[in-house]
Amino acid sequence: MAHAGTSDVPAAARDASIVVRDATRAATLGLGVAALLLFVGYPLCWLAFGALGLPAQFSLQFLVRAFTQPGNVAALANTAILALGVGLLSVVLGVPVAWVTARTDLPMRKVFHGLVGLAYILPPYLTSIAYIILLGPNAGYLNRLIAWAGVHGSRINIFSAAGVTFVIAMHVYAIPYFLAYGSLQSVDPSLEESARILGARRWTMLSRITLPLIAPAITGGALLAAINSIALFGPQAFLGLPAQIVYLPTRIYGALGAYPPRFADASALSIVLVLVTVIGLFVQRRYLGRRSFVTVGGRGARPAHHALGALRWPLAFVILVVVGLSSIAPLAVLVAAAFSKVWTDALTVNNLTLANFSAALVDNQIAARGIVNSFRLAIAAATLAVLIGLAIAYLDLRTRVRGRRLLDYLAILPLGLPGTVLAVALLQAFIRFPVAIYGTVWILLIAYVVRSMPIAVRGANGALRQVDASLEEAARVAGASWLTTIRRILLPIMRSNLMLAWLLVFIPALGELSATILLYTNGTETISVAIFRLSDLGQLEVVAALSTVLIAVILLATLLTQWLAGRSRSAVSAEATF
Amino acid sequence: MRKPTCTSTDSRRRFLGRVSALGATCGIARAVRPLPALAAAASIAPTLAANVVSAADVAKAKSEGNVMLYTSLDTKIVDAIIKPFQEQYGIKVQYYRGGSADVSSKVLAEAAARRIQADIVDASDVGAFLAMKSEDILKPYDSPATKSVAADLRDPDNTWVADRLTQAAIQWNTHLVGSAPPRHWKDLADPRYAGKLTFFSSSNGDGGPRLYTLALAFGWELLEAYAANKPLRVATPQLVTQLLESGERAAAFCTNDNIAWRSKKLGKPTDYGFPAEGVPTELGAVGLLKDAPHPNAAMLFYDWWMGETGQAILVDGGKYSSRSDLAPPSGNPPLKELKLLILDYAKYQAQRSQVLERLTQIFGGEWGA
Repeated sequence: MAHAGTSDVPAAARDASIVVRDATRAATLGLGVAALLLFVGYPLCWLAFGALGLPAQFSLQFLVRAFTQPGNVAALANTAILALGVGLLSVVLGVPVAWVTARTDLPMRKVFHGLVGLAYILPPYLTSIAYIILLGPNAGYLNRLIAWAGVHGSRINIFSAAGVTFVIAMHVYAIPYFLAYGSLQSVDPSLEESARILGARRWTMLSRITLPLIAPAITGGALLAAINSIALFGPQAFLGLPAQIVYLPTRIYGALGAYPPRFADASALSIVLVLVTVIGLFVQRRYLGRRSFVTVGGRGARPAHHALGALRWPLAFVILVVVGLSSIAPLAVLVAAAFSKVWTDALTVNNLTLANFSAALVDNQIAARGIVNSFRLAIAAATLAVLIGLAIAYLDLRTRVRGRRLLDYLAILPLGLPGTVLAVALLQAFIRFPVAIYGTVWILLIAYVVRSMPIAVRGANGALRQVDASLEEAARVAGASWLTTIRRILLPIMRSNLMLAWLLVFIPALGELSATILLYTNGTETISVAIFRLSDLGQLEVVAALSTVLIAVILLATLLTQWLAGRSRSAVSAEATF
Repeated sequence: MRKPTCTSTDSRRRFLGRVSALGATCGIARAVRPLPALAAAASIAPTLAANVVSAADVAKAKSEGNVMLYTSLDTKIVDAIIKPFQEQYGIKVQYYRGGSADVSSKVLAEAAARRIQADIVDASDVGAFLAMKSEDILKPYDSPATKSVAADLRDPDNTWVADRLTQAAIQWNTHLVGSAPPRHWKDLADPRYAGKLTFFSSSNGDGGPRLYTLALAFGWELLEAYAANKPLRVATPQLVTQLLESGERAAAFCTNDNIAWRSKKLGKPTDYGFPAEGVPTELGAVGLLKDAPHPNAAMLFYDWWMGETGQAILVDGGKYSSRSDLAPPSGNPPLKELKLLILDYAKYQAQRSQVLERLTQIFGGEWGA
């Protein structure tokens, strides 16, 4: 070690070096904290100011109008109905599928499990476009199939409140699915065993034993799915607006798009949206807090798989339809369109082309710029978010600085901020800022970092918890500076966990739409903006090509994440056995 | 409300006078005024020679190197106009493309923040230009390239000039409407079009002016009858055409003539028409920003955009030019054969929120009211 002789250094010098070290530490940590206050705290203040009509003039009329004007009331009602519908539908879809994949001998259950994951990583604004092709009331493939089969009067209209609910549920049912799946796998098998020995039939056992045991996971999943649905601008815009159905995010988008832009109305509506979200999150926490997961019992004793018998294959078919409709079907439609000269024609050899990809990657100004911008932004955002997250986690776990809890809360706060709301806050905060941030790529970077703060802080927190403080102390006793300790001891140990957190930020940032659509400007278009705008211009083939590229990258990154997560789990278990 | 006497269709040549008479007698359409200038539109074939008349300092423009355009024009036309300009001057043209209201609200927001990024603004919404002018953010410029644009198609103070006219047409899928295509606005009010109609407007209400024009000329009942047919509302005319081409919808009201023109030209199963009883027209206009970051390049590009070359490319893309010396797009009638209905934008600007409110009541949804 380079600093092996530390103990020989005179006491005064050592004290000085400690002071210096602490200064670096304070500066580094201070920077992370300042960033958080500037990027989360400051914009939130502006959201409140804006809703009060400031800086023009103080007035409560905007907040009052947000709750009373018929258009706003309708938007609020539609949003609430959407949340309820999605919560319900995602449980109806997710939980039974979770049971059969987790607890039965259903064929292809591993495949189904993967497809639910796929449904979750497909950005819902892309699946919206695909579902229009599949379920457009007159020309949609599936509706034409229904008509061809001679079933009249039963067309599915995707441009409806039910359509928006369906498309979003096909995305977020993965949340109750994965929660229920995890819960089902950890159910104490002895409880079910006892029931069976006592002569309970399968349905009785399911409804009286299993369901109550996984109830917290189901409710929690339903609430999270519902909260998620509120914020998804894409499907609301693509499918709701054509049928004149307005939700809070699309209402806010309208207020900002009006001229002059109505910032005060947008802010007041944003506060309504935050309230809805926060109430949902609060209920979810309270609910989960009251009911502890008592299910985790016999470690190692895996619950038995039920034999489905004659039901095996018919059930597999039903699950395939549900799961396939949420994942393979939209993906296939988009990929087929990406390789078609004319997307409305059948995918024959004559109709095959690669031109859409050259258009998306090279020729089309907006698309090509979008790809470059999205990658740069997602990489920068993930790196920054993880660094800030690390600073906050360090403050929380390794110091006794006053107010560190508050910081932790501030970092979690963006969970309650849908992308649209965040954009409204940032827009007002930085449009008058002395440094040019509005109208540059920086405002997008800030938005992405803020949005990913909760994930980044949790990821960093989890990673840091796994490293015993004694390792750092040892390094510092040996004379290593604080930065060296971080660089040589902490980061190498935390590497794969930090990489995981990095990817968890990178993936959503790559396709972010809700906030981006309100913050981008000429030159800072992202992939999502290019898709949204080019879709408006009717260039569906290019949109499909862009979508295919985006999905391919997201898939690769997700597989990498899975692999890392698997590795880190084994690392943790190895540590545990030590 | 209109009296039925005012709907009588005259010979096409006299329609302009007819519209003004209509305004005087019925009192409705003070907001609808005629365009006498277009009656004199000559049909001279465009030449693609790149000789540009410009008052701009070319050397300074070149040293600025860039120009930023905010436009609501279809990107395919924008790309075609930009390409030869970049080749000739080596000045890079970047653009932001959005709907008319997107473009104007962006400019106004930047102006409010004193962070103007655009050099030139182009949008199909003269109302927005009046707003920009009253905010004093437009730079007066009496361009030599706009000499052949008639006086009633420009701001007397030269802060903006019309560059194009967009007609609201009826478009339909030829397979789905059969032998009797909809030729008149009232045809689409028929219940047999229930669930078969489409139209466009962004959530900020950029489709409002033409619908209001229609309502002024033919009564709000027409729009109410459309609404009763549950039309699918999309954000742009390009999406309208997409819905018609795929057979998702059978017919559209008030779509853009140039988009319908292109669809037919590409051999898609669509066709379009201009109802003889009157066609809402929207002026697209262009103006320079006072605080433009690249003032000289902006002037040079403005002259290119409005010059014979730029405007001829526009016509090649299916748009009607505001210049009196250019022919209509191939296959389209000259404007003087159409009965054009144009809003008085100053009045529309004043009534805008009430109009959008009413459209919200009729159609539902988001109109930026």
